Amino acid sequence: MMKVWEVYPLRVAFLSIPAALLISAVAITLLPPSVSFWVSGAVFVFSAFLFVAYAWGRHAGGLLVAPAIALLFIMNIFPLLWSFGLSFFHYRANRLAPPRFAGLHYYEKVLTDPVVWDRLQVTAQLVVLTVSLQMIVGFLLAMLFAKQFPLRRVLLILVLTPMMLSFVAVGAFFRYYYEPTFGLLSQAVRVFTGEPFVLLQSTAGAIAGIVFADAWMWSPFVMLLVLAGLVSVPKYLYEAASIDRISHWRRFWNITFPYVRSLLMLALLFRTIEAFKLFDVVFLLTEGGPGTSTETIAVYVYRVSFQYFKTSESAALAYILLFTVIVLTNLYLYFANQRNRT
Amino acid sequence: MSATDKKSLAERLGLKVYSGVGNAGWGRTLFAAVISFIYFFPVFWIILTAFKTHNDALAIPPKFIFSPTFENFVAVFSRAYSAGAAAQDTGFALYFFNSVFIAGTSVLLALAIGTLAAFGFSRYPLRGNDTYLFIILTTRMLPAIVVIIPIFLMFRVAGLSGTYIGVILLYTAFNLPFTIWMMKSFFDELSPDVEDAARIDGSSDRRVFFKICLPQVKAGLAATAVFGLILTWNEFLFALLLTGVDTRTVPVAMAQTIGGDIGVRWGLLAAIETLFLIPVIVVTFMLQNHLLRGVTFGTIKR
Amino acid sequence: MSTIEATNLTKTFGSFTAVRDVDMSVGEGEVVCLLGPSGCGKTTTLRMIAGLESVTEGEVKIGGRVMNKLPPEKRDIAMVFQFYALYPSVSIGGNIEMPLYHLGLSAEERRQEVARVAEILQLGEVLERLPGQLSEGEKQRAAVARAIVRDPNCFLFDEPLSRLDVEQRHSMRGQIKEVLSGLSKATVIVTHDQMEALTMANRIAIMRDGMIEQIGTPHEVFSQPRNVFVAGFIGSPKMNLLDGRLLTVKDGKATIELGADSVVFPVPAAAEALVESHLTIGIRPRALEPVDSPSERSLTGQVELIEPMGAETLVHVRDEDERDLRVVLPRERKVKPGEVLHLACDLTQTHIFDDSGLAVR
Repeated sequence: MMKVWEVYPLRVAFLSIPAALLISAVAITLLPPSVSFWVSGAVFVFSAFLFVAYAWGRHAGGLLVAPAIALLFIMNIFPLLWSFGLSFFHYRANRLAPPRFAGLHYYEKVLTDPVVWDRLQVTAQLVVLTVSLQMIVGFLLAMLFAKQFPLRRVLLILVLTPMMLSFVAVGAFFRYYYEPTFGLLSQAVRVFTGEPFVLLQSTAGAIAGIVFADAWMWSPFVMLLVLAGLVSVPKYLYEAASIDRISHWRRFWNITFPYVRSLLMLALLFRTIEAFKLFDVVFLLTEGGPGTSTETIAVYVYRVSFQYFKTSESAALAYILLFTVIVLTNLYLYFANQRNRT
Repeated sequence: MSATDKKSLAERLGLKVYSGVGNAGWGRTLFAAVISFIYFFPVFWIILTAFKTHNDALAIPPKFIFSPTFENFVAVFSRAYSAGAAAQDTGFALYFFNSVFIAGTSVLLALAIGTLAAFGFSRYPLRGNDTYLFIILTTRMLPAIVVIIPIFLMFRVAGLSGTYIGVILLYTAFNLPFTIWMMKSFFDELSPDVEDAARIDGSSDRRVFFKICLPQVKAGLAATAVFGLILTWNEFLFALLLTGVDTRTVPVAMAQTIGGDIGVRWGLLAAIETLFLIPVIVVTFMLQNHLLRGVTFGTIKR
Repeated sequence: MSTIEATNLTKTFGSFTAVRDVDMSVGEGEVVCLLGPSGCGKTTTLRMIAGLESVTEGEVKIGGRVMNKLPPEKRDIAMVFQFYALYPSVSIGGNIEMPLYHLGLSAEERRQEVARVAEILQLGEVLERLPGQLSEGEKQRAAVARAIVRDPNCFLFDEPLSRLDVEQRHSMRGQIKEVLSGLSKATVIVTHDQMEALTMANRIAIMRDGMIEQIGTPHEVFSQPRNVFVAGFIGSPKMNLLDGRLLTVKDGKATIELGADSVVFPVPAAAEALVESHLTIGIRPRALEPVDSPSERSLTGQVELIEPMGAETLVHVRDEDERDLRVVLPRERKVKPGEVLHLACDLTQTHIFDDSGLAVR
């Protein structure tokens, strides 16, 4: 007997998504949250299975992929769609009141909210500063390690370590170093000024503190990528350049840089995506202060959703972040694929 | 990876010098050593502080030479909360156990599921393969805060928050995109000839996978697992919101101690950090050849 | 003045000696080919001349000046690399222009120079393209153009034709020779292909295990190989090298025992000292001619394998001592496997090497 997905496999699988959306929207409106969760969960698991069945019918590969897709569906896609649904409703996670339909109210609110724009500005400021610092420091470090020399690998490990550390640990270190009375920074400054130095007190100082910690942590990442570009330059090109008596400046721009260019672009995008999410370091170092001067958008979303419990608003906000990250990720993959192909 | 395995210890440590263009001598070593040490200094200082007494840790000017003590390490696990009181368990033994247990279990699960999926994506491209892979990567690139709001609600409704099952499930999903992309990049590199030959000789797909492909990506599996362990071990925000008192991991506990009762006991905090960092540093050394691939989720191989 | 001189040139990598006591000089307008099997040290020698490899011992002189300690950029040389080493992100025109920046020419003068060599090497159409968009042959010509665009002390070529297919190789050989003949510079070409060396070089230096075995004109190394190695290396098909024993020498004629056969050859006087010792006879495949009946200068064997080569046929003949003799016969001469041939040696093309492999002259 022909099963329905064997006849119209793709159509059934794809139709199941809007159907699932519709059912869960209705469920969320009409039923109490604890029931609507299971209803919508079940609907989405079902549509995930439809996709798997479709894939299975076509290729053996579907079976291999199925468990992963199913898990991601349950743990990532489904929650995302759920919160997408919530963003159209009035809902607060700390109240018992059932969600009421709100339409685009929250998107409108979020997009016109000066606070949001301010937080985005703070984020942009931090992103620009930290990413450019990382690019510069990373590039210089890569130049330092581009040549072969004794003990290179050991020294490389010392430099690479920060990026493998936890944000919390890094946040904790720098809290210690920025400490006003006996922190190393304050003590160093006191040698010159005679006054204890409270870095995180001023806006500029707090931004500098965060940027320094984040850039310290992630410059090795840029270095690693640039280094990959530098060592991929065939040695004979440099030999030819020395025989052709090309100046070092021209050598750099015509030979070295083209090999590093694509990797720099990738490093830039990757770091921008990551810096855009800047949360842990800010949270641990300044908690957004002084005032809200270092409150990044990620910290703001955290506050809105888990301190003020404006669940719907935070969901709408989250979707704007999601959109940005999707665009950046797409760009990143485009460049990565281009590079892997050549 | 076989090439790196065969390298002598001297080569691995970078002691052996190769002749030709692109070679700098000990002068560069000296310069790089200075820079590297300055770069590593924040970590080094924390480790040093972990061995200082409370007074030494707060000394002005900072002390480079001091008599080391292990009291901080003891106090991480058990200390008196007020002067004169009996030493109590701080719970850190449990937190370390949680970190290890949760990271270990979820990485193993993700590795099992993800390797299969990576093989599927690599060898049996579905229609819209790139789209699937893109969505998978995006879920990893998303700000944690975006994903966590609905998951938080979901866990609350489903009664999973604060349980091992919930956290492990979450971290498995968290590690999965990374595992899939990493393992796919390793599978993509294998030469298809051997597999074709095995198929022609009548091996089943399952046999090809287990007997031919898996053994070739052993190093990749290890690298992926270790990377996943570090990522999970370090993760903070999910843990902050979704672990309970009994399932709390070290990063959360550490963050809480910063503002908590030991806020000014830097030696103690440094000891916690040192215990927390040492495995990561050791592992970074082991992973050196796969670092680039690991930190870019397998999107850049070389 | 454009000359290259290498004296006692030696290069060691750790305990491995790549080049040992190489002595050679290249005069103005002369093309010398370094020829040898892979790993013989020819490329290392070239790289030492270029300054890309440090010299362990000995001296490199270019244009009469000692260059040992100078980096490549100070030696004023031009080099064509095996993989062309075209700068991948720079257009072909830009690539050819590169060596000119150092000379302080104006943009217009540079453009003219590029146009001039592009004309010589027929690159006018591809000047705007990137190296990746060129065929192997065009890349090769671009690499040569970049080398000849300025007026260096000498030219160095590292396996210049190894990446081309047979046909392109043939035409490039001619082109390079033509271009070089118009420049009157000292030129060193490294190659493992003897046809390349024989056609392009004024003199050939044959290397083995880091040492020069013989240096001489193409004619000399072919007709008067100094030792067994050179004899076997130069010439295609390979020379037949047969072990034998010198029985007697009388009136300048030697009787040599070659397994079952013994042959009588005219030998130089020096051979008299070698009576009763082992030696190697070298006979070129084209110096063997089938005759009707055996004589005192003929060898006998059975035809085993026939390889048609077009105009000629290569025949493998197995003699009674199970030795494989290569014989080149004209196409018209038909042979069948199993046929017994008596092969007379052309005495003018026969070489005698003593026990240590040196030619006896």
